[in-house]
Amino acid sequence: MPKHIVRVILLLAGGLALGLAAKWYFTAESFYEFGHYRADSVAEIAAQEPAFKTARYCESCHAERHAQWSANNHKTVVCEVCHGAAEGHPQKGKLPIPADARKLCTLCHEKMAERPRTQPQIDLAQHGTGQQCTVCHNPHAPKLAGVVAKVAGDAAAGGKKHAASCAGCHGANGISPNDTWPNLAGQNAAYLVRILGAYKSGAQTDVMMSPVAQTLGDGDIQNLAAYYAGLSCKAPASGKAAGDAAAGKVLAKNCAACHGETGAGTNPAWPNIAGQKAVYLANTLKAFRAGLRKDPMMAGVVRGLSDADIANLAAYYAAQSCGKKP
Amino acid sequence: MKREAISALRARRGFLRKIGVAGAAVAAGSTAVLRKVAAKSESAAAQKSFPTADYDWTKRKWAFGVDANKCIGCLRCVEACKRENNVPLDAHHFNTWVERYVYLEGEDKPRIDSQQDPVNIAASGSEGEYRFADRYKGAKVEKAFFVPKLCNQCEHPPCVQVCPVGATYKGADGVVLIDAKYCIGCRYCVQACPYGARWFNEEKGVTQKCYWCYHRISKGLQPACVEVCPVGARVFGDRNDHESPISLFIRNNRVQVLRPETGNEPNVFYVGIDKAVS
Repeated sequence: MPKHIVRVILLLAGGLALGLAAKWYFTAESFYEFGHYRADSVAEIAAQEPAFKTARYCESCHAERHAQWSANNHKTVVCEVCHGAAEGHPQKGKLPIPADARKLCTLCHEKMAERPRTQPQIDLAQHGTGQQCTVCHNPHAPKLAGVVAKVAGDAAAGGKKHAASCAGCHGANGISPNDTWPNLAGQNAAYLVRILGAYKSGAQTDVMMSPVAQTLGDGDIQNLAAYYAGLSCKAPASGKAAGDAAAGKVLAKNCAACHGETGAGTNPAWPNIAGQKAVYLANTLKAFRAGLRKDPMMAGVVRGLSDADIANLAAYYAAQSCGKKP
Repeated sequence: MKREAISALRARRGFLRKIGVAGAAVAAGSTAVLRKVAAKSESAAAQKSFPTADYDWTKRKWAFGVDANKCIGCLRCVEACKRENNVPLDAHHFNTWVERYVYLEGEDKPRIDSQQDPVNIAASGSEGEYRFADRYKGAKVEKAFFVPKLCNQCEHPPCVQVCPVGATYKGADGVVLIDAKYCIGCRYCVQACPYGARWFNEEKGVTQKCYWCYHRISKGLQPACVEVCPVGARVFGDRNDHESPISLFIRNNRVQVLRPETGNEPNVFYVGIDKAVS
């Protein structure tokens, strides 16, 4: 074979060998292992950290809240839908409690023809008069039915029962003579029915109240509630409270969503606390904190309160004028 | 004659010197090559399970179900997906999205919009939050529904076929993955997908898409969108498991796939959509 042809062949062969060597060298180690791709990339993708941690992760610390949520209608809406992804929590700080419930809740509950009819929907113009949804609904147990007890009692019969069984402690006009027992005059009837029912059933206990409530029939409870709700709550000013009302006012902002700015709430299922006895209020808050009184909403709210905070709150609410705000 | 001999000698000396330098370089390089040879002979298949110690992709056959009858269009899936997968928080990049089909009385064709429509962005208040505006309020709506969309993880994915560098591929468990290190950003796959599931990340210079939260499903979790869906409109599971949510979903419903005529054989199964959806 002529020399120049041999040289060309050698050159081409050399180039080919060099090219193959380069391809071999630069191709990732795991390429072609399963196919025309880099097998290592699968493990790299699988190694990313999940941002959403699931409700089970939340439960490990927030068991009480989790139990309430998982027993109620919102159990299909996992924690991280409203509170955001839990990645980095608790190490990097708290997760947000949604500030604008009306904006958040209406993502699912704004009435739209496109939504399936099985979805509970509200007409924004007619529902809630522009208030935050959380004023009436507990987002972890949103359904109100059954919470607002129906009251259809006879106030006159309730008055007789009151004189016979309750006036000794709660005062002839439902205004208690001392600071430890609550005023009942002007209290929400639905709340009274609920709380008396709780004493009767044993869901809530008190050395004084439990034996009394157990003697009451369902009709008595209805009558009493109607009677107290109709009384005037105007009470003589009690002695100076231990706490600082001004400091209490700042704290009370956290309670305003349910109890109203001055302690007169909008939902009849919850008690009016404006003008209530300071010592009673403080004792009740401490009972919630200690778990003696059981209410998932209150338990969460009072957890972070110190004794001084409680005294200040009690002083603030005790100093407010009772009854609904004009 | 003598001068020529000298120049020939010089040339030879220069050539030899070059050979010497090249030889030294080869000697230095050979250790690197040897290391490479050793590494290549260690195959990943030698592991007990692939791709991770707790997850064997040959045992799974993932599939996804969408029940449009249940979807309420709350878009929590879209927001969760963006957060989970670091998708840019704007109105142009989505791994998953939701379309709204509305038939008004007297109209044959549906009006279609999605969360990225300017009207809906105006209702949400920002490009990083999503909500459907109540834009058909007062109109006579004859029929309307929401349809969540995502990558179909096709049995015969055209995006994989067109990738020139092997940066996207179909895994043994059925998920079509993207190797961001190998992607050269040519965007052929974006063009090839008939469902518009792929998008280009201008910042990173690579294509991205839904991968059924592979980092979650390989750890035994649900994809983020399935996790947050409040009404169970999204179903996910393993078809190898006869009692998994997706197996039950496919067995108990008349399911359909999008654009069956393409022959891609999607692995996302729909219930409650009509022929306008593709």
